[in-house]
Amino acid sequence: MNEHQLTLTERMRILSQGTKYDSCNQSAVCHAFGPDGRCIQLYKTLLTNSCAGECAYCPNRSERDTVRASLTPEEIVKITWSFYRKNVIEGLFLSSGIRGDAEKTAEQQLEVVRLLRGQEFTGYIHVRVMPGTPKYLLEEIAENANKFGVNAETTSSVNYSEICPNFDYNNDILTRLKWTRDLIKKQRHKAGYNGRIVGANDTQFIVGATGEPDREIISTVNKFMNKYALRRPYFMSFDPVPDTPLQNGIPSPKWRENRLYQASFLMKDYGVKASDFDVIFNDDGFLADDDPKMRLAHEHPEIFPIDINTAARYELLMVPGIGPISANRIMHARPIVSEQELTRMGVIISRARPFIEINGSKQTNLYSFQAMETGS
Amino acid sequence: MIIAFKVDVDGVLLACSALKKHHDAELVFAKNRRELEQKLSFSGTDDRLMYLGFTPVGDTGRLVLEILGKRPAKMSRTDTGPVQYIDLVLRHSKANPAELVRLIISCNGSMEHLYTAKTKVARRYYNYMRDVTRAWQRMCMFARPVFINGVLTVEIKSSHDVADIFCRWLAKKNPDVPVAVISGNDAWVGNGELVGLDHFTNMAAAFVKSLCVSSSSKDEEVDDIDGLWDVFYDSQMIKSRRNRHLAKKMQPKSSAGLSKMAKSDRYKVERGISNCTLDIFDDTECEVDT
Repeated sequence: MNEHQLTLTERMRILSQGTKYDSCNQSAVCHAFGPDGRCIQLYKTLLTNSCAGECAYCPNRSERDTVRASLTPEEIVKITWSFYRKNVIEGLFLSSGIRGDAEKTAEQQLEVVRLLRGQEFTGYIHVRVMPGTPKYLLEEIAENANKFGVNAETTSSVNYSEICPNFDYNNDILTRLKWTRDLIKKQRHKAGYNGRIVGANDTQFIVGATGEPDREIISTVNKFMNKYALRRPYFMSFDPVPDTPLQNGIPSPKWRENRLYQASFLMKDYGVKASDFDVIFNDDGFLADDDPKMRLAHEHPEIFPIDINTAARYELLMVPGIGPISANRIMHARPIVSEQELTRMGVIISRARPFIEINGSKQTNLYSFQAMETGS
Repeated sequence: MIIAFKVDVDGVLLACSALKKHHDAELVFAKNRRELEQKLSFSGTDDRLMYLGFTPVGDTGRLVLEILGKRPAKMSRTDTGPVQYIDLVLRHSKANPAELVRLIISCNGSMEHLYTAKTKVARRYYNYMRDVTRAWQRMCMFARPVFINGVLTVEIKSSHDVADIFCRWLAKKNPDVPVAVISGNDAWVGNGELVGLDHFTNMAAAFVKSLCVSSSSKDEEVDDIDGLWDVFYDSQMIKSRRNRHLAKKMQPKSSAGLSKMAKSDRYKVERGISNCTLDIFDDTECEVDT
């Protein structure tokens, strides 16, 4: 169907569907939850799904026969305002296919942002910038958007050239990640604590499109965290799209994505290092379909059980069922005398019980019973 | 001796300070002078009265330090501070301000006890705080205002007294338009300077209809905004990832009562998104995602 024959609603549907796999969070108010349980807080749309790129996994790749649509900056601005006033969103997430080249596309994305800010829009704006976006445009996006970043998609230039042949991993992705890091630092310095929200560097990986093992993904995330101040990586399982070169690929199981998220949270909030995961990878470097924190705890029986009333914060964080918030609460509420108190503080006691003791008393588990019986 | 205090944060802190000095005093509380006079005349007491909080307190900082201590008591980033804790608890429909004053005194300067909930009363009040927080957060999430005469207006129903904090939130989110939150016969107006009122005003609900301001072009809604939202909402569904349990937990049944749009979203969470539209009327494949 010709793009000109499509109504605004039809174009909107097509372009919003194009972003449904993009993850973005403002960590503020969610206004709705989809039937899949994901929070909806931003109006997510593509500017256009026409794309010059030939990314092997992408439904919008240039050679694919699909309905192409686009929204004008004015239309996006209008919809964003309407949704915002209706209190169904907190802001806008704007991505795009590459129309012409990265520079032209970024110009158009910037046009939307300029229009909104020009109309005193105080909501959140997250711009997904295209690989190869010039620095001068990134600088202006940084001045107006709350968050902006480029998708790394994979872990190395070899893998990247396999799935995104039009772009260069080192130049179009890694250099942009470095620029976004520097620009965020500058904006945060300018905004101070009372200014607008300036989100951390973010990126997204497609899991399973090129066969890279979890070890490689976790190591890349760790590298990005250290080098590009990446705060939170997003993962999306590869799902083969018909009429693309990877249409016969094997879809990545959804649990793999979940386990990678759990591993990334352990690195982000629990002080776990990438090398700590080595003991729980299988021979091929993949995580099992099991909670990585529980696995890590089972691999280190020598440090458990820990006394809930004397353990340091980092020790509490190693216990399955205890997160950063409940660890802080425990530290403040000591002495703890019962499991009920821990439950009230948000500890998942059924998970934590085998790894903790409260004032010397602990759960007797089957292993210790067996050990007692055999005298070992 | 009777300590009569106003039901607000200052009143509670002043009552705490007074009760520390007069352990045997009785506590009486009221929202305003008139309510207090009524209460006192009903009891017909002759005891010495101490009025606290009914005239504005200049410096609450000293009081906060005296009663709540220097160290911030909140236990994690997500907890509210003790001043907010008191403010939120007082909004709960079941809260007894006198009991709250005694609870704070029993903490003896260690405000952590308000959060660790080691006693039955502390646990109850901590839950009150959580109830009120949840109630206004749900409003922020699921209330859907509309423009009436250029004023962004929303009507809410809550058993807790959260209309003003929700109005402040809405006004902060939309600093360029006047906002009104109607709760029963009362209304709160935020960004009131845009309609010739104070920045934040309380008034009778009936008066809101008389407010009028010309809206700018950016506030002209697209046609059928509810329909457009449905299109967007449906577009975000990943069929293979349907997770009814999580979705129902995140968008609870109670959210449906807050607005028509939230009700429709909740329906989809429960029943799935129907792909039966007029466009595919002729097609045989017409199913509901379950």
